[in-house]
Amino acid sequence: MSKEENPQVTRRTTRLSSSSSTPNAIESPTKSINLPPLTLRNLVFEEKEPLTFDGLISSLPGRRNQILEILRLLGPVNCPLSPLFVYGGASTGKTSTVLQVFRHLNRPFVYSSCRTCYNARQLFDNILNQLLLHRKSEKNGYSSAKKCEKQADFVNYLKEALIGVVDGLKGSKKFEGCVNGNMVYLIFDSLELVRDWDKSGTILPLLFKLHDILKFPDLGLVFISSSSFDTYDSDTGLVDPIPVYFPDYTEDGLRQIFLRNESNPKLRSAFLDVVLKPFCRVTRRLDELSTALAPLFTKYCEPLEDLDIIPNEEMKRKLFDCLKPHIGPALNGIFRVTSQSSVEAGVKNNLKRKNTLKFFGNDSVEDIDFHMSTSAKYLLISAFLASRNPATLDASFFDSTGGSANQKRKRKSSEKSRDLKEASEQELFMKGPGTFPLERLLAIYQCISSSEEYSLENDEDSKENTGLDGDFGENSLMSNILLQVSSLCSASFITKGGSCPLEGSTRYRSTVSEDMALKVARSLKFPLSKYLYRR
Amino acid sequence: MFQKTLEEALLLLRKRLCDPDFIFSVFSDSPDSNYSKLKFILASSVTEACNNSVLLLGPRGCGKIAVLDLVLQDLLKEYPDMISVIKLNGLLHCDDNCALKEIARQLCIEHELMFSKMASSDDNTEFMIAMLRECGLAHKTVVFVLDEFDLFAQGKQRLLYSLLDAMQSVSSQAVVIGVSCRLDADQLLEKRVRSRFSHRKILFLPPEKDDLQRLLKHILLLPIDSSLPQDFVTGFNSRVSNILADKRFNEITDKIIESDSTVSNFVRFLFSAVSCIDLKSGYMTLENFKSALSTIHRQPKLDCLKDCSILELYIMVCMKRLEVKEQTSYNFNSVMKEYTIIQDSSQTVDNYSRNVCLRAFEHLLDRQLIQFADRGHNQFIEFRPVKLLMSHFQLHQALKSNRSCPPILLKLMEK
Repeated sequence: MSKEENPQVTRRTTRLSSSSSTPNAIESPTKSINLPPLTLRNLVFEEKEPLTFDGLISSLPGRRNQILEILRLLGPVNCPLSPLFVYGGASTGKTSTVLQVFRHLNRPFVYSSCRTCYNARQLFDNILNQLLLHRKSEKNGYSSAKKCEKQADFVNYLKEALIGVVDGLKGSKKFEGCVNGNMVYLIFDSLELVRDWDKSGTILPLLFKLHDILKFPDLGLVFISSSSFDTYDSDTGLVDPIPVYFPDYTEDGLRQIFLRNESNPKLRSAFLDVVLKPFCRVTRRLDELSTALAPLFTKYCEPLEDLDIIPNEEMKRKLFDCLKPHIGPALNGIFRVTSQSSVEAGVKNNLKRKNTLKFFGNDSVEDIDFHMSTSAKYLLISAFLASRNPATLDASFFDSTGGSANQKRKRKSSEKSRDLKEASEQELFMKGPGTFPLERLLAIYQCISSSEEYSLENDEDSKENTGLDGDFGENSLMSNILLQVSSLCSASFITKGGSCPLEGSTRYRSTVSEDMALKVARSLKFPLSKYLYRR
Repeated sequence: MFQKTLEEALLLLRKRLCDPDFIFSVFSDSPDSNYSKLKFILASSVTEACNNSVLLLGPRGCGKIAVLDLVLQDLLKEYPDMISVIKLNGLLHCDDNCALKEIARQLCIEHELMFSKMASSDDNTEFMIAMLRECGLAHKTVVFVLDEFDLFAQGKQRLLYSLLDAMQSVSSQAVVIGVSCRLDADQLLEKRVRSRFSHRKILFLPPEKDDLQRLLKHILLLPIDSSLPQDFVTGFNSRVSNILADKRFNEITDKIIESDSTVSNFVRFLFSAVSCIDLKSGYMTLENFKSALSTIHRQPKLDCLKDCSILELYIMVCMKRLEVKEQTSYNFNSVMKEYTIIQDSSQTVDNYSRNVCLRAFEHLLDRQLIQFADRGHNQFIEFRPVKLLMSHFQLHQALKSNRSCPPILLKLMEK
């Protein structure tokens, strides 16, 4: 991700946080007092040298056409603008491009993201604060410039504020040279989120109609959204803005981005030759590619002693041979946060799969890679069983003669017709894990933990015997078990569902996949498959 | 020097395109236009000192508000100090209290009175009625413009009732103008409101082709008596006239009209074309209009499909196959089953793990190419039923136009 980060993005955050949010002020209260009052100059990027056109193009590889289109539509200084709608998939550089263009043009703008301003009021406050050059500080009790709850108030205040700003820009000569023109642009980022707000039925039409309602020629509106205009709908239609489309980066564009700020471009490009193509088949999203490629690149460079080396054909081939076994797992993994060692182990495991298949029990990779108390593990398994097995079969599974009942059931299920089996399989596919009340979970928990105790007593070698005694005393259903349930809930191994209309109690659902449950069971040496109802 | 002239010309053109009053003034001169009708109604209610109400109906972007503004501007000039205009918008003031407050505020500004923010809704109603009486006695007409009229008809319609009821009294002198894009707007009214409403309606329709031709000339030709150099204006205008007469240009405008013939759509197209003017050559060319057509006429679904990676295409093809098999509802698990069947039967390079497929599936959800078919939120993504948001034809089209699409995928699609 380091390649993506460019200085102007951080600049934007500091600029915005100084004018709209407060984290700086909280950190150092003395600093906030010394901040100079905001001027109209704060509506542009505060820089001595504006970004040149070449700088603009080179700072955003692969976005040349889009930059030109936006520049064209914005037009020369003081040109009125009909609203723009910039859209395109995630991480295609919409926000950076728009902001960089404004940095290049050096025109005053107000940026507000509907992600940070999570409801209409926040959004209105944010825009007005920026326009009225208001800074939340200790003196004003971190309050906003205007209190506006209604949309009507917002429009009135906005008009006042815009008139103030534009008069300021027109009136005084002192901004000449550092602020271009007297148009003010409002930029709304992540507009697609507004659709999920309450009252979005009136806010979205208002935003799209803002230009017509205000009738203010010196106002430009730019909407940035990750979904296209046809996905916004309203009962009586919306006023269409002018669309600007950002397509996903092409492979060439991605290569240019990955080669940016690279100390050894030759080596990097040799690496990209190898990996970019297969990865692009899976996804072309920059953010995901950069997280996937970063560890691979370090892997690629590992055999090299000198990182400034310019690789020749033979070396490229050698490096590729080293990298080859790592590409497959990386393609099939998502967002690997784990350290290098576990990736290595995974690779080894892949290579040795044939050997280890027979006695997977003692394979280290099959273990779960986080710590969990024994009782939590049992709870997890009970929840899994409660979700998968039909409640009616609980008795036959968990009574004292567990083994024989299991046999009977198996025969029974084999008698079922094939069609029925397929239908139920389909149902499992469609419906997902079932829900269960807390009582059932606790009952199953008690059954399996007590039977386990019994088997452990027979099994003299078990190492976990001592640990289990502590957890499962006579009063095993103590409050700490309930505590475990709630912590499993908050770790979202178990989710709380709606309450059952008949019983009225909360129902739970296990979110654990079968692989995971098997892993946990294996770590406890618990025979999970014996208890699992196979349709 | 030339650069400066050109920038000035561009500024003029863009100003025109962003100013609805200028655009619609072209339609105002003919006697049977909406402009004349509306002006007649309003002027007669001003001169005869009577109450009136009228609805302006028509699709979005046909200039209802723009024509109304033109009429009001003219009337304000003709009858100074006899009209005061109160403008409300359904998007902003559909709440009754809020609307009354706004009316009181605008009345105060109009008559240079002090407006109290703290006044209650009752106070505001009383104030409004008192003001209406005063205005009536002074022979001053109050014009209420209610934009997005249909939104005022939600709820109890208290505002509409109190407005129209106040107009029943002899002393008042007011006009209520409702503007809506719903043609059935008057059917939304309650009985007590409807009976007080005069059923005058003016319909605004998208313009005919000759009108659009007039509009084009009205907007694109530069004025001769301006600060711009004479030779530049004549050069520019002759080029524009040449383009307007061109057959290929007519084809382009036909395409625009076919999809959406409202004025606002056309103006958007012209704005895009004007913004395409090359600052070096400086005159409009046919190319400008062509590129404007391509920016305005986008097909977002196809664009989106073009951006999909191979894996995402695989998933959509699997979904399409499930739909063809007439599986009534399917979810990620069934898609995954189909996917593994395909991968097992024909060993391709695109065999990825379940997690990666799930991520691709989520990307498709993000792109809104697929959507959940249910409204539940407490289920996991894998189990929620989904549906494709495009036709099979569109998908096939996208696969064919995608150069990196593996041939096997096309075969699977066609089967």
